[in-house]
Amino acid sequence: MNFKSLNHTTMEELIYRLKQEIIEALNLEDMKPEDIDENAPLFGEGLGLDSIDALELIVLMEKNYGIKLQDPSKGKEIFKSVTVMAEYIQKNRTK
Amino acid sequence: MIQHFVHITPEFAFVDGKALNHNEKGAALLTELYRAHIGDYPKFFKMDTLSKLGFVASELLLQAEGELRFEPREDRAVVLFNRSASLQADTNFQATIQDPENFFPSPAAFVYTLANIVTGEIAIRNKYYGETSFIVLERQQPQVMAQQALAAFLDPMTESLISGWLDCEDENHFEAAIFLLKKGQYDNAETVSKEITKIFNIKY
Repeated sequence: MNFKSLNHTTMEELIYRLKQEIIEALNLEDMKPEDIDENAPLFGEGLGLDSIDALELIVLMEKNYGIKLQDPSKGKEIFKSVTVMAEYIQKNRTK
Repeated sequence: MIQHFVHITPEFAFVDGKALNHNEKGAALLTELYRAHIGDYPKFFKMDTLSKLGFVASELLLQAEGELRFEPREDRAVVLFNRSASLQADTNFQATIQDPENFFPSPAAFVYTLANIVTGEIAIRNKYYGETSFIVLERQQPQVMAQQALAAFLDPMTESLISGWLDCEDENHFEAAIFLLKKGQYDNAETVSKEITKIFNIKY
């Protein structure tokens, strides 16, 4: 995918794709993208994810979007919700 | 006679010698049993097959026991045995680091790369704070298992034990043959060994 086509992914499309990737990477059985509120917190009450899930999300960003999170503590900010994560990806993706 | 025991393979599931209905085989059987008899524990879906097997088998065993559950207790130990250690989880993790061009070590796969993780899963689920241990043997050795079981009772806190065989080579080759043992039920390893052998040899 070249840089031009990256920009053609709308935020809506990216959010939907990200939800699918999160469901697959974190084995959220029985969940569909529609079940995830993109503005709800990913951790805590939201999807009830744990610290291993946070590490998997860091791997997901590197594997699928070429984003290497140098400071894992930044994850707290980035993984606030699917929307916040998608915005970060849109801004920083290399693939 | 050991009162409560569970036997699960990719082909069948028995609790106290009675067959459970099912349609699936292999790892899908474990998911089917989870949905039919347990549910409401989404972490199940994140487990490797060994932990899924141990989780489902222990849940069925404790349901058969019928005692009050999920109250913190220190008097119950979990001592399990197998041959394949955490082979399937090791293989899954290796797959994430095999290709230098696609090198993304999976933390979720890595956390299951020890056989004794399953004893922790069972203890966490049931709020057991007693001894947990996982011993890897060359094959099913009822005598060794009996000795280890009785050794666990040397701890004055331990009054009962979830023990038995819990082996998983992969999603289509696994076996759980676990049971509940109470302190004082048997006074020597030979008798326990005979009881364990009986469970292993039941023809379903």
